[in-house]
Amino acid sequence: MVRAVSKANWSDAELLWAIRSGDEPAMEHLYDRHSSIVYSVALRVLGDTGSAEDIVQEVFMQLWRNPKVFDATRGSLPGWLAVITRNRAIDSLRKRRPETDISSVIVSVEPDLSGAEWGHAVEKIRGALGSMPPQQRSALEMSFFQGLTHNEIAQKTGEPLGTIKTRIRAGLMALRKVFGQ
Amino acid sequence: MSVHEQFADDLSLYALGALQGEERSAVERHLEECPDCRHELARLQGSLALLAFSVTGSKPPARSRERLITAIAKEPRRAHLIRPPRRAWWTVVEWVAAVAFVAVISLLLTQNSNMRRRVAEFQSNSMKQQQELLQAKQLIESLTAPDAVHFTLVAGKVPPQPQGKAIYVRKNGTLVFLASNMPVLPAEKIYELWLIPTSGAPIPAGLFRPDAHGTAAVVKPAIPTGVEAKTFAITVEPSSGSSAPTTTPIMVGVGE
Repeated sequence: MVRAVSKANWSDAELLWAIRSGDEPAMEHLYDRHSSIVYSVALRVLGDTGSAEDIVQEVFMQLWRNPKVFDATRGSLPGWLAVITRNRAIDSLRKRRPETDISSVIVSVEPDLSGAEWGHAVEKIRGALGSMPPQQRSALEMSFFQGLTHNEIAQKTGEPLGTIKTRIRAGLMALRKVFGQ
Repeated sequence: MSVHEQFADDLSLYALGALQGEERSAVERHLEECPDCRHELARLQGSLALLAFSVTGSKPPARSRERLITAIAKEPRRAHLIRPPRRAWWTVVEWVAAVAFVAVISLLLTQNSNMRRRVAEFQSNSMKQQQELLQAKQLIESLTAPDAVHFTLVAGKVPPQPQGKAIYVRKNGTLVFLASNMPVLPAEKIYELWLIPTSGAPIPAGLFRPDAHGTAAVVKPAIPTGVEAKTFAITVEPSSGSSAPTTTPIMVGVGE
C-alpha cells in the first residue's frame, strides 16, 4: 500500500485537499508556509500592520471556507496568494467592494519557487527591479502597490498616457525575463 | 504563441485591474475567445506575483496565527460539508480483477516463453493464447476506460485520501499500479512512479496523469526483470518525466 508521507512534506495541493475535509492542522501548515507573503504584500500596499493583519485573516479564511477557490491546475499557490492579496488590499485602500472573482485569477509562475531557492529568487527579482529605468519601475510600483490607473499615473507624472502603458508592460516583461520566461 | 498586438498593453493594465468600462469589457470579450491571450494574461499575472515577491520578508505577528486558528475553530464543523465521494474508487471486485490481471499476465509471459520453443509442435495452443491475450487486453481496457465507474469505500465519514496500490511480480518485472484521489497537477507537471530497489538508484516505473476524478493506472511499464523492490514512491516531475527523481516523493510505499 502506498500512503502519503508526513504532512509537513505535503504539497500545497495536498494540503488544500485535506483542508477541503476540514483538516485544521493542514490549514496551519499552509498558513506557516505562506503567511509571510500575504502579510508582506498587504503591509506594502496598506502601510499599516493592523490593516495588513485584517487582510491576512480575510485571505486565509476565504481559503479555509472555500479551498476549491484555488485550482492547483491553474498556477502556483504563492503566486496566486500574492496577486489576490494585492487586489484585496487595493480594494481595501480604495474602500471599494472586491472587484475581481478570485477563482478566475490564474497566475503562471515559473520556476515554482520554494524552499532554499526562495531567498535567491527574491534577490534576483529585487536585482531586476533595481536595474530598471527609474520611471519604468516607478510606473510599475505605482500601478501595483498603490493601485493607480494608467490615467492617474499620467496625470501625476505629467507624461503621455501611451508612455505610461508602454512602461508598465515593459516592466512586466523585464520581470518575466528574470527567470528566462 | 501570438498575442494580439492591439491588446498587448491593455492585457497588462487588465491584469493590474486598471481598466474600466468599455476598455475592460473589450478585453474580457477578447479573452473569452482567445486562448493565446488568456495564456499571456496568466503569464502577466505571474510577473505581478514576482513583483509582489520582491517585498516579502515581513512576518505577521504570532497573534495573527492565533486569530486565524480561533476563527477556524468557531466555524461550523466541516464534517457536514463532506459529501460522500461523488465518484468513487476501486471496488473489491476491481481489486480482485487487477490481481487476476497480474496473474494472467505472469502466466502468459511464462507460456509465451515456452511456446516459442514449442510453437511448431503445439500450433493449436496459439489459438487459446490469443484468446487469453484478448481477455487480458479487454481487462486492461476495462481498468483504464475513461467511462469506467469507480467507487471508493471508506469507513464512516473519513474523506478519501490520495492513495495508490502497486502490485509487483519480481521474476518477470510485471507491475500494475492503481491510484485514486490524486490531486490534479498543472499541465507542465506529471506524476512519476519509481521502483525503489533494495540497492541502487530508483528505477522509473511509469508516468501518469490522473483523470478529473483523481484516478490513474500504470499497467506493465517497461522495467527490468528480477529487481527486488524495497518499495515504490511517487514524485512530481516535469511533463516529459525524469530519469531520476528531481523532487521529494509525495507518496511512498509501506509494506503490507
